[in-house]
Amino acid sequence: MSKTEMRRQLAGLSFSEKVKILEKLRDRSLALAASGLRSQSAEGARKKADKGSKG
Amino acid sequence: MVHNHWVKETLEIINQMQADGVIGKYAIGGAVGATLYLEPASTLDVDIFAVIPTSSDSPLLSLTPIYEYLKARGGVIEYEHVKIAGWPVQFLPPSNELEQEAVAEAVETTVEGVPTWVMSAEHLVAIALRTGRSKDYIRVLQFIEQDALDQEKLHAILERHGLTSKWQQFQDKYLGGTNE
Repeated sequence: MSKTEMRRQLAGLSFSEKVKILEKLRDRSLALAASGLRSQSAEGARKKADKGSKG
Repeated sequence: MVHNHWVKETLEIINQMQADGVIGKYAIGGAVGATLYLEPASTLDVDIFAVIPTSSDSPLLSLTPIYEYLKARGGVIEYEHVKIAGWPVQFLPPSNELEQEAVAEAVETTVEGVPTWVMSAEHLVAIALRTGRSKDYIRVLQFIEQDALDQEKLHAILERHGLTSKWQQFQDKYLGGTNE
């Protein structure tokens, strides 16, 4: 399925179905924030960028 | 992972608050409102534009009755939000004629059987255009890309609220000057 078609299908879901997806997205964001993965990955990206700019 | 029906529970509490006369008509705006028309996108809060009744004793608008009502029902105040049933909700009294019209003409829908109101796609776009942050422009582009707008209705709203030149600037910058 193309990305455009997938987006169209998602947009065509009922509001209730879309709200369930919103809730899952939010759960995932909160879980990532609580685990510290997001800040670790941001830190990793910063270090990588620093290394790249120095190299 | 257990699925929580946070939005449904939040809306049930807001509907009860409306029935109890703490707020008047309300409409969901922002990213959650846009979800009625677009693919779902991650967001951390719910924007509720709510008419707040005033009395002749105190004509100034105050969110205190909302906060007090919700605190008595387990709501937690966090900065500009009230956390209800796990979701941070921001209550926004309509601050101009565009927002008042958006609330008055909101579309009735349901979330898991709970009735609620969402701003029309065209009002969401007009408000996003007026607000004018990067994330608002991205949302406007999503509405255009997904062909989710009634162009005639949108242009009438833009004209009524003095946003035609801003729309032209938006088109020139992001749509290459097309007359979308």
